[in-house]
Amino acid sequence: MFEIGRVCMKIAGRDAGKKCLVIDVVDEHFVMIDGQTRRRKCNIKHLEPINQAVQINKNAPAPEVARVLNEIGILVEEKKQKVKSEKKAKTARPKRARKKKELPVKEKVKEKTKIIKSETKTKKLDKNKPEEKVEEKA
Amino acid sequence: MPRMSRRSRSLRRIKKKLPGGSTKLVYAKRQPGTTKCSICHIELKGIPRMRPFEARNMAKTKKRPERAYGGFLCANCLREKLKQEARQS
Repeated sequence: MFEIGRVCMKIAGRDAGKKCLVIDVVDEHFVMIDGQTRRRKCNIKHLEPINQAVQINKNAPAPEVARVLNEIGILVEEKKQKVKSEKKAKTARPKRARKKKELPVKEKVKEKTKIIKSETKTKKLDKNKPEEKVEEKA
Repeated sequence: MPRMSRRSRSLRRIKKKLPGGSTKLVYAKRQPGTTKCSICHIELKGIPRMRPFEARNMAKTKKRPERAYGGFLCANCLREKLKQEARQS
């Protein structure tokens, strides 16, 4: 019953009530349809055949299906063909450079004098310690 | 004693817990009934039960199935109806 060129009405789903044409028979349960509905695979249980048939090639393109259905009196709106838009080349974003903080220049403090003092103290202690120990032992 | 207009049982009574721990009686309007198929009177699926003010901010696609006669006929009755249409044409 569902041969290529059979006009059907879809009775289930969001395309219910719309008329379509069988383009291809996939197997005993499924057919390919196109027309007022979307071009898609469809279960036979979701279709009701109409007493009309058309001669059409297997897997005919959508504009041809629309032309054939319009001749019978079933109005089909032209589907918008997907236009492959050329991908815009991504312009390289300018990288944000981190701002370097300008550190305030520290004035170097002369610490030489301090170091010298501390060194002298340690030296004195070191000298005293071993001397004392030696004396105690003796 | 509550307001006289609230003493009728047409309003729903809800016991709400207050932050302090005590309960308070709050009155609310009852939920509307489920929508039904106009041919077989079976409950329709995919249609939420809500008051009109709740439906106002809802998307159209969330309020009924996106099918021919969606929200009025069930899928089985629609199928039978469309079959008859197809056989007559």
